[in-house]
Amino acid sequence: MAKYIAKRLLMSILTLLVIVFVLFVLIRIMPGDPFPVERMSAEMILQKREELGLNKPILVQFVDYMSMLLSGSFGNGTSLYNGAPIKPILATCLWNSFKVGVLSILFGTFVGLGIGIVAALNRGKFLDGFCTLVSILGVCIPSYVSMIFLQYFFAYKIPLFPYFFDPANFFGSAIMPALSLSLFAVSTIARFTRNEMVEVLNSDYVKLAEAKGLYGFELVRRHVLRNALIPVVTVIAPLVVDLLTGAMVIEKIYGINGVGKLMVDAIAGQGVDYNYVLALGIVFSALYIGVMLVLDILYGIIDPRIRLTTKEG
Amino acid sequence: MKKFFMAALLLVTMIFTGCGGGNDSAGGNKLSVMLSSNVVSLDSAQCTDLASFEVIADCIDGLMQLDSNGKPIPALAESFDVSEDGKTYTFHLRDAKWANGDPVTAEDFVFAWRRHCQKAEEYAYVFGNTVGCVKNADAVIKGGDPKTLGVTAKDAKTLVVELDAPVPFFPALMAFPTFYPINEKFFSSLADGSYGTSPETFLSNGAFALTNYLPGTANIQLKKNDSYWNAAAVSIDGFQYQVVTSSDNALTSFKNGTLNVVNIGGNQVAHAKQDGELSKNLQTFSSGMLTYLSFNQDPKNHHAGALANVNLRLAISNAIDRESLVNNYVANGSTATYTAVPVKFAPNAKDGKFFAEDQKKYSDVVSFDVDKARKFLESAKTELGKTTFELSLIYANDSGDTSVKVVQAIKSQVEENLPGVTINLQPMPKAEYLSNVTSNNFDLALVDWAPDYDDPMTFLTLWTTEGCAIAEHWSNADYDKIIADCTTGSLAGDYDARWKALYDAEKILLDNAVIAPLYTDANAVLISSNVTGIDFHVAGISRVFKNVKLK
Amino acid sequence: MYIPQKDDFEFISGRDLEIDENFSSQGYWTGVAVHFFRNKFAVTGVILVVGIILFAIFAPLASSYEYDEIVSVVNSNGSEVVAKSLPPQVAGSDVQNSFADKTFIFGTDDMGRDLWTRTWQGARVSLIIAFVAIFIDMLIGTSYGLISGFFGGAVDNVMQRFIEVAGSIPTLVIISILAIFMDKGIGLVIASLLITEWIGMSKIARAECLKLKEREYVLASRTLGASSFRQIFLQILPNTIGPIITQVMFSIPVAIFTEAFLSFVGVGIVLPQCSIGSLIEAGFGNITILPYQILPPICVLAILMLGFNLIGDGFREALAPKLEDQ
Repeated sequence: MAKYIAKRLLMSILTLLVIVFVLFVLIRIMPGDPFPVERMSAEMILQKREELGLNKPILVQFVDYMSMLLSGSFGNGTSLYNGAPIKPILATCLWNSFKVGVLSILFGTFVGLGIGIVAALNRGKFLDGFCTLVSILGVCIPSYVSMIFLQYFFAYKIPLFPYFFDPANFFGSAIMPALSLSLFAVSTIARFTRNEMVEVLNSDYVKLAEAKGLYGFELVRRHVLRNALIPVVTVIAPLVVDLLTGAMVIEKIYGINGVGKLMVDAIAGQGVDYNYVLALGIVFSALYIGVMLVLDILYGIIDPRIRLTTKEG
Repeated sequence: MKKFFMAALLLVTMIFTGCGGGNDSAGGNKLSVMLSSNVVSLDSAQCTDLASFEVIADCIDGLMQLDSNGKPIPALAESFDVSEDGKTYTFHLRDAKWANGDPVTAEDFVFAWRRHCQKAEEYAYVFGNTVGCVKNADAVIKGGDPKTLGVTAKDAKTLVVELDAPVPFFPALMAFPTFYPINEKFFSSLADGSYGTSPETFLSNGAFALTNYLPGTANIQLKKNDSYWNAAAVSIDGFQYQVVTSSDNALTSFKNGTLNVVNIGGNQVAHAKQDGELSKNLQTFSSGMLTYLSFNQDPKNHHAGALANVNLRLAISNAIDRESLVNNYVANGSTATYTAVPVKFAPNAKDGKFFAEDQKKYSDVVSFDVDKARKFLESAKTELGKTTFELSLIYANDSGDTSVKVVQAIKSQVEENLPGVTINLQPMPKAEYLSNVTSNNFDLALVDWAPDYDDPMTFLTLWTTEGCAIAEHWSNADYDKIIADCTTGSLAGDYDARWKALYDAEKILLDNAVIAPLYTDANAVLISSNVTGIDFHVAGISRVFKNVKLK
Repeated sequence: MYIPQKDDFEFISGRDLEIDENFSSQGYWTGVAVHFFRNKFAVTGVILVVGIILFAIFAPLASSYEYDEIVSVVNSNGSEVVAKSLPPQVAGSDVQNSFADKTFIFGTDDMGRDLWTRTWQGARVSLIIAFVAIFIDMLIGTSYGLISGFFGGAVDNVMQRFIEVAGSIPTLVIISILAIFMDKGIGLVIASLLITEWIGMSKIARAECLKLKEREYVLASRTLGASSFRQIFLQILPNTIGPIITQVMFSIPVAIFTEAFLSFVGVGIVLPQCSIGSLIEAGFGNITILPYQILPPICVLAILMLGFNLIGDGFREALAPKLEDQ
């Protein structure tokens, strides 16, 4: 197992390196200068480019950037927020998105699993149809629309929660964005859980267990969940990354200083801030790869067969 | 499963107890103001946007400030002397203090100005020869020795500024944030690039001090600065800014009482006007921002210079119903504009009349007249030997929905009034838009230009051969000469002659239809009835809060 | 060693063979269809989706307005004004603002265009985008996932690393770069969907393939010498259709949502063209003061989502009927 994890870890680091390079090249071909130019003369723009080292060959720039990364810094912004060091700003934004994200993942997973399990156990009955409808409704409305409805009803009509995100009252102000963000996760997870559970419930070994006299919660816990959860984990993993990396529109509407908003600011501002886009890209990718790594290891734990086939191949 | 549940519970508890606590920010009688966009930077050398200018001006005073009518009055400078030739200003500073107790000295200005010119960021141009004409500024911006810049501290309280040419609006310019001082000792004690990134790294000498700020934050809190030289005149204990990008959200949060001062768009204005309560809170201020269509005349452009033909440009300009644009689509109190300088802007220092008072002045070339427009189009067709014109119109679509509506209306009007002309809309984010307008990659562009100072020149210098980055590729020696004469040349010292010459320049510009002016933007603002004393300005800092009173 | 010859065998004839008429009389897909249409939810889904599709095709054709036409109405003073932001009304009826000389079933938007026409035109555009993008995604994603899962080992490793690289570049960056090379509009939206959505599809296909390739029937065909191509596309693929269809049904809302998101960041459908996403985006800015502008596109979107999901569920159950259903 340790060897398997070490091998996967090494692969992940190599992948991340490739991603950094690809991102680096892609960002250099994006339109726009990495600083505001509206009031600058052509001469000043050239001078500024020189100063930022943008006239060097791209490989030299990449080596410079990598050596900066390895020294543990994301460097300074080129246009956004005064060219301040990126790391503390990124950390703040990431932490804000993370808090809201974790809340919505937990909500999404528990409610989703709950609905899925209830539906599967009552398959074909009224409760199944009801749960299916509820879970489908979750994907019918975009999260930003549900956010504005929540904001309208529970912050304006009935002022239960703050109208804008208030860092001093985190719990109160995180509920609405977390709720609207989690709707998609709830329905996705509920539907997958139900489908997989139904399949497992119809399998021979469950029938055998039932024949032996196991039923109800005990049966579900011991024989059904473990097998039904494998594909569900596949669905949850990308959702985790999506939610952790923020929801741009919701962050903008509700005034959350998170990574989604940071990304939009870095790309759609007065100039494309190369270093912010790169730093965000690297963090997003590292998160994604990290989650995938954990997922693979989890797979190995839940279902030893998968580990074996990977090893043989 | 159980373990997973427990771990999850633990995580939630950790997150929420870890960041709980903190004071209740939603105080009952506190002023909360909407900002339409994020503060880009609190470093006066780097900020480029109205939100940043405004917050900096809340916290730092310059040599001068503007009164509620936009006239310059003393701030940190108690008084100033001007030499006979208008080229040397001597400012006498008052006894003001930074929030850390240091006195504000002339050295603080010298440090800030030299640094700004040396850094050569976007707004460094205000020191240069098209605006401030500070001696040697252009040379320093291009990499010269900052010590040669024409600003010196004669003693701790006397600042001498030498200019290359007399600048009639120089005192007013001193209220612009780029000319504000920075405390050198404080600045050099900070890590590189960290100035202005938190309340701890930003030193105030003005009416307010930051208590809560992070780059990109949606919520900024300020408290009254007790060591401000004019602290007695500041009546509120502090206020907060909230960044709101949706006009609908702004309206609801105002109704809700969350915010006291909000800007709203056309649809919300119509709603507020019909609402008895809200209509009392609604006020409209001209913002001095001109929205115009820019024509790319470069013959190398991919439409092979169809727009280099003056008749085609005139046809488009005369086919646009500006009244319909402002009444139906902008609908926030903006004014249709037929001049290159916006309305209600740049009053003459002597008779107080606005520069663009007479909107009919160029009605032979800028108007809404379909017959005339079609005649221009016919001449364009014969001259160019083409019957159809397909033009692209680029615009930035991430700064509100007004421009999105305006371009659609323009497309509809031009295509209906000028048979044979097709306009393809090309929306893009601001950064890409700027890259296109500066790199000559457009046919028509919708441009918003906000004035930096209250003088026609802030607009008229845009269209000189070496003007700003937005390139129409139009060059006219007469025009360039008038502008040069009025900035650094023979007319700079003669107020009346300069004013008259500027009209001549504007005439050349509009006769050639270099641009098609559309409208002067306005801000429709909802203000709670208990809030009075906010000063609104057309140029530079748009809102000033230091005289605000709460009932 | 004796090798059996053809002549050693002969057909059994004359014996009474019992053939099960019930099952032989219907093919596999007929069975699927029977199961599908027996499911009330699935039939509801079909009705909803077909209904929307019919409206999307015919309503813009039958409408008296163009979707991008700015309509004028005569107001109470007898002068012509732009019909902007009018609530739903029928010509001749008595309405408060007395502009009722024209019919606007869903009202008009804030540019003065008929929302009925725009909603169905938008539904048309969104459906085209979703169908084209998801169909191509399905082809690419499924083949990719099956090949990667089937061969395993080094091939799988390389293919999965590629997915990791492609999947972890932020969508916004990819789209911004794509926007340099392409004109904005439907094409760009479809291209962005292609680049970002096939990965999910390929993961499902790979997971299924990993499960199926160890099954006895695949083993049997491998033993009999079937080529890899044959095993993948004839043995494994048919059995992955269920999960893939479920994934397609999940992808259609994602496609339409992504389109809506793209118009938020400014690379979606170019106005005055419209899609469900751009209509929601336009109504979104006035949601509390002019709610009737956002309701039609949201309802159409919700009905489409509901319909596709019900159809998806019905398909899945019909393709893999459980014993108890038979």
